[in-house]
Amino acid sequence: MGSSGSGKSTLLNILGLLDGFDEGEYVLAGESMADLSERVAAKYRSRFLGFVFQSFNLIGFKTAMENVALPLYYQGVSRKERNVRAMEFLEKVGLTDWAEHLPNQLSGGQKQRVAIARALVGKPRVILADEPTGALDSKTSREVMTLLRDLNGEGITMVVVTHEHDIAELCDRIINLHDGQILTDTVNV
Amino acid sequence: MTGISIALGVFILVVMQGLGFGLQNGVKEQFADDAVNSIWVQSGRTQLSYRGNQANRRIQMRESDVEAMFNEMDTVYAYSRRIRIWGMQMESGDKAGNFPVRGVDPDHQMLENTKLSHGRYISQRDVDEATKVAVIGTTLVEEIYDGENPVGTHLTIGGVLFRVVGSFDDPANRWENKMAYLPFSTANKLFRAGNDKVDQIIIGTGDMPITATTALTDHLLTWFKERKSVHPDDQRGISLENNNEEYEKFQNIFLGIELFIWGIGLLTLLAGAVGVANILAIAVKERTKEIGVRKALGATSSSIVGLVVQESLTLMIVSGSLGLVVGVGLLEFVSPMIDHEYFKNPQVDFRIALLALGILALVGVLSGIGPALRAVSIRPVEALRDE
Repeated sequence: MGSSGSGKSTLLNILGLLDGFDEGEYVLAGESMADLSERVAAKYRSRFLGFVFQSFNLIGFKTAMENVALPLYYQGVSRKERNVRAMEFLEKVGLTDWAEHLPNQLSGGQKQRVAIARALVGKPRVILADEPTGALDSKTSREVMTLLRDLNGEGITMVVVTHEHDIAELCDRIINLHDGQILTDTVNV
Repeated sequence: MTGISIALGVFILVVMQGLGFGLQNGVKEQFADDAVNSIWVQSGRTQLSYRGNQANRRIQMRESDVEAMFNEMDTVYAYSRRIRIWGMQMESGDKAGNFPVRGVDPDHQMLENTKLSHGRYISQRDVDEATKVAVIGTTLVEEIYDGENPVGTHLTIGGVLFRVVGSFDDPANRWENKMAYLPFSTANKLFRAGNDKVDQIIIGTGDMPITATTALTDHLLTWFKERKSVHPDDQRGISLENNNEEYEKFQNIFLGIELFIWGIGLLTLLAGAVGVANILAIAVKERTKEIGVRKALGATSSSIVGLVVQESLTLMIVSGSLGLVVGVGLLEFVSPMIDHEYFKNPQVDFRIALLALGILALVGVLSGIGPALRAVSIRPVEALRDE
């Protein structure tokens, strides 16, 4: 966690292979991620990483189910298989009944749950969440964090960026950033 | 909006093509009448005095001139002498009228491009034996026969009974339709008292190249002037008209019209294409975020290009087809209603329609490429940055 401008989102973008880095080393699944071509980066993203954004970033003209199925499309999964798996993950976030709804027919919490289902559907090793609760009220924030914790319990690494202390308190390890430097790195019991 | 402008572009292309085609058909039919492969020889009154002859002397071509002229030519592909008589009394049953007459040779049909509606034309045997047969125009048929098939009936021309062996209709030539064609020899014997005067000579040039026909025209003109003692600079005494030059001129005009129409159509299409590229550029900008998300979710560059190009292609094809269908529909609808002298049978070649669609598809892909490349260059980080 850290305040605005501390570099947390940049770190997350680098971790997510959305941005390049100039110094240091980044090893994901045993392979160096330095100087990847756009193509290879896209491949790693699709295989290892899932993203959850503050503003959800669902595609407006696609239904919840289609949004969830999108990463599978880029992995080359057949339409039938995509839909089955998308429904499976919508069920996991408790939105089976909302599968045919468009994003603007969903509440903020529901949208974020669709986004989480979308991040999960590609069976990633790591989920990168950039202020996942930034646009939600405290009750839905808590629900979303509970969902993320449960998923963490299933063996998926979660990286959550936030500037809210009570959200950070729900994580196992807290890294404090300030002006691009690590201030503290504590294990939260 | 873009869809509409593309549809409009194709619509205009199709309609212009159709109209151009109609114009071309009409004009072609007008000139196809007698503008094909022929040289026309006419005589008149001299303008200049020459070799002791006064000016304003009437030059008369004679059959001996025709014979001698053939000796000046390598090949005579076709020819017809012509006698003109401006008005003859014609009667059949209780109907009568005054109509012009021409005495001609069999090749005249081909040289004047006369289309028979019934029966046959003047034959060589008719000319050789000076038979009393006539081939009459459709106006004559209307006025004397009430439009019924006149073949086999008898028609009194200038007090002499002729058998009608054929009728013709030349839609582009109302004057000709009033006419009765007789064998040259018959007309000469009966109405010219058997003298050997020839009013006009038409020479078919077959497949001679234009330069050869021009050379032949020049040669014959000089030769004729010398033979008839006409001053070399005289314009009227003897004149030759080479239709091949005219024909080529018209061919060039047609080509010009065609190029003009294509130019307009293609420029309209181009305008449509620019519109598509523009709209796509805006669409890509609007969808920066979506494209960023897709990239974050594992989309490769090629799949993004595919997405944009496919969209542009769909837009082009769908709206292009719409314009095509409406344009062709309009032409089909309007075509039967139009029947003007210079405008006939507007239609669009199926191949042109297909070509237009092909061009649309190509333009669709090309106009999609720019925005697509911009879409690819979008960096997901920037795209996803919250406002």
